[in-house]
Amino acid sequence: MDRAQFLLMVSMLLFTTGLLGVMIRRNALVMLMCMELMLNGVILSLVTFAQHSGTLSGAVLVFLVFVVAAAEIAIAIPIVMQLARQRRTLDVEAWRELKG
Amino acid sequence: MSIGDVLLYFFAAGAVLGGLLMLVARHPMRVALALIAAMLSLAGVYAMLGVHVVAVFQVLIYVGAVMVFMVFVIMLLDVRDASFVRRYGHMLAPGIVAGSLLLVLLAMLAMPGDALPPAPAASGSDGFLVQPFSVAFLEDYWLHFELTSVLLLAAVIGAISVIKGRGRGDG
Amino acid sequence: MDLLTTIVALPLLGFVLNGLLGPRLGKTFVNVVGCGMPLLSFALVLLAFLRLQAGGGTQPLVETVYTWATVGASSFEIGFWFDRLSAVMALVITGVGSLIHIYSTGYMRDDAGYARYFAYLNLFVFFMLLLVLGRSLLVCFVGWEGVGLASWLLIGFWFDDPAKAAAGKKAFITNRIGDAGFLLGMFLLYRTLGTLDMDQVNAAFSAAALPAVSASLVGILLFIGATGKSAQIPLHVWLPDAMAGPTPVSALIHAATMVTAGVYLVARLNGVYLHAPEASQVIAVVGVLTAFLAATIAVVQTDIKKVLAYSTISQLGFMFVALGVGAPAVAVFHLCTHAFFKACLFLGAGSVIHALGGEQDIRRMGGLAKRIPVTFATFAVATAAIAGIPPLAGFFSKDEILWFAFASGSGGSPLLWVLASSAALLTAFYMFRLLWLTFLGTSRMDAEVAHHVHESPWSMTGVLLVLAALSALGGLIPIAHFLEPLLPLPAVRDGFAHHQTTLVVISVLLALAGLATATWVYGKGLARGESLATRLAPLHRLLSGKYFVDEAYAALLGRPLQWLSARVFLDLGDRRLLDGSLDGMASAARRAAGRLGRIQSGSLQFYMVLAVAGAAASLGWMWWHG
Repeated sequence: MDRAQFLLMVSMLLFTTGLLGVMIRRNALVMLMCMELMLNGVILSLVTFAQHSGTLSGAVLVFLVFVVAAAEIAIAIPIVMQLARQRRTLDVEAWRELKG
Repeated sequence: MSIGDVLLYFFAAGAVLGGLLMLVARHPMRVALALIAAMLSLAGVYAMLGVHVVAVFQVLIYVGAVMVFMVFVIMLLDVRDASFVRRYGHMLAPGIVAGSLLLVLLAMLAMPGDALPPAPAASGSDGFLVQPFSVAFLEDYWLHFELTSVLLLAAVIGAISVIKGRGRGDG
Repeated sequence: MDLLTTIVALPLLGFVLNGLLGPRLGKTFVNVVGCGMPLLSFALVLLAFLRLQAGGGTQPLVETVYTWATVGASSFEIGFWFDRLSAVMALVITGVGSLIHIYSTGYMRDDAGYARYFAYLNLFVFFMLLLVLGRSLLVCFVGWEGVGLASWLLIGFWFDDPAKAAAGKKAFITNRIGDAGFLLGMFLLYRTLGTLDMDQVNAAFSAAALPAVSASLVGILLFIGATGKSAQIPLHVWLPDAMAGPTPVSALIHAATMVTAGVYLVARLNGVYLHAPEASQVIAVVGVLTAFLAATIAVVQTDIKKVLAYSTISQLGFMFVALGVGAPAVAVFHLCTHAFFKACLFLGAGSVIHALGGEQDIRRMGGLAKRIPVTFATFAVATAAIAGIPPLAGFFSKDEILWFAFASGSGGSPLLWVLASSAALLTAFYMFRLLWLTFLGTSRMDAEVAHHVHESPWSMTGVLLVLAALSALGGLIPIAHFLEPLLPLPAVRDGFAHHQTTLVVISVLLALAGLATATWVYGKGLARGESLATRLAPLHRLLSGKYFVDEAYAALLGRPLQWLSARVFLDLGDRRLLDGSLDGMASAARRAAGRLGRIQSGSLQFYMVLAVAGAAASLGWMWWHG
């Protein structure tokens, strides 16, 4: 296993760890942070490929992911705050309205 | 194994450890701290890889802006509720099964052979300095660069409307 | 537009105008259109007839209006064919038809559905003309079905009475059974000959090389169609019930024209029947049985229209006897005279019913002769005509039928003659019985009814007078001779020729015997007839029960069919199989939806797990398939 493969493994681990956190944690803010972890896993893989292939495209994409992450947080945090104000809780299990 | 490689493995292990800590920590603040640790470790990995620009961005944007924002919000809300005491939802077991299944499959797909195909170009570390980045952004990727500003603008408007929307709604 | 097309199209125009505009534009408009169109048609038929005669009389007028469909090499055309047979039929239809239209303006005067009535009547005339003028069997069949439709509409004209609506349905359904035979015969002809034009069919069967199909089979199949339309045994059951319609309708459709369509069909396909001795035999036997049995039933009927209905069936039987012994020209002759006197009788009966305010039971009539003299006089003439008193119309035509039944070289036999003569005797008897019970003797009416008796308006009595004159003199028109080039008379069997005078004398004596018996039994009211009925109770019950054919049909066909429909098709087929399977599928879907709906729990994290499981599954699929 060379370095690139090792880093890819790390990136997958981070990604699935974040995914697992989104799936199992109850706290909305924790879930958001786990999503950030998933994004970080992806960024790691992008950097790995960019570095491995010696091109700039991957790194440019990293920059775009940063922007998307910032935008996501900028929207998500107000939403979570609204929800917390409404129900006085951060427990996602308190919101079960999303069904037909 | 050079010192650089040792540091690389060290930082990578730190990132994974931080991620795992996020799963088990009870209070959001501790989760946030674990995430910051993971992110800083990743910045270290990038630095070890020679991609200094990304490492700097990681520290500045993620840790410096996003995570600080997050910590502020955690302190601002500080709602003492059941989700602090009982960490996990009812999807704990299925979630673990599905997650590990996905991990195994990803690993199997990503590791077809013993090594990735060799890099087409020599991986010169000077390719990832600030100057080539700037040139690339303003010559090749100027459209993407400009579009990010549109995205950010949309995010700003969205955030404002979510906050303001409270007046009209039921909250 | 060409002449024949115009003849056919005018009544259709009347139907459309009356049907669409009649109710709005009032009675005068309906009268003008309703009576005007058939009269105009009649005038044009006369014109066509003159043209035909000017051309020597043997060269038919032919018109092709429209090519209906082209299938391979053969095409189906709507074409008209006007030879002497069509001419006679068309003259009867438009002539008698117009008279009955005029009569109807008086009879139906106060009916709410006045315009509708005339629209239907015009529609009937249209289809009937299509039937007799059509060159192809297909066009003829359209007319055939069309008159069935018009008949159904008019029998059930007062459809708010369920019994009358049911009578219409019965007529329609019984006719359908016959139509099946007609269709099969048509298919068989088309399959073998590749054409349905009746002149070509006749020519094909007359050619030296006979077509590879049994003429008898075709003949019998088409005759089945004719039995339905012409109310022959065993499909005669609908005609008595058809009397539920307005009386002029009974006169026009169920006596004078539509029911003779079967006679026309067999006469028209003369070429086929000439080469189908077996089929002719069947026709003669069915005809004579119908003539005799219907006459026996008519003897005991008490409803004035039912008597006439069974009389019609009986007379149609006579016509089929003539067809069966190879004398279609005579059959058509009797068809014409029958149209005159039977229309006169029905319209006279209508006048009686009109006078009595709806009463139809002859046991509650009597002594009407002085109150409604015109009706009585015309009715008496027509009765004498149908009974065969010389020199009225019925005498000539019936006498010729009896003669050929006895002496025809193709199927005549003394036995046939005996049965037919008995039927003729019975005819004279029941007709004079009707005359006596209705018009003569003492009144058996309720005082209330008797008070209101009045002669019908001129529109009705005038028509009666014309028809009575035709009944009296119609026999002098040599229709059989006129048709002979087209429908040759059969050869007389060897050694029979000298019997003709004897037979004429016998048939006159039979008519007079019928008259005398009826006078003796019913001359002084009902008493003698009723005592006879009690003395012959079983026979009387059999006859007034109409040989229980309806009941037999109900038991043999109706009940099993109902059982089959209700138990097998409705309960098992429809409810269990169809509804059951559909309901089952619906409830299965609903249950499945209920179960699947639980997946949509609203839990964000459950959705997340599902999405991850889906992603894992697609990745697994990718890995598996390499």
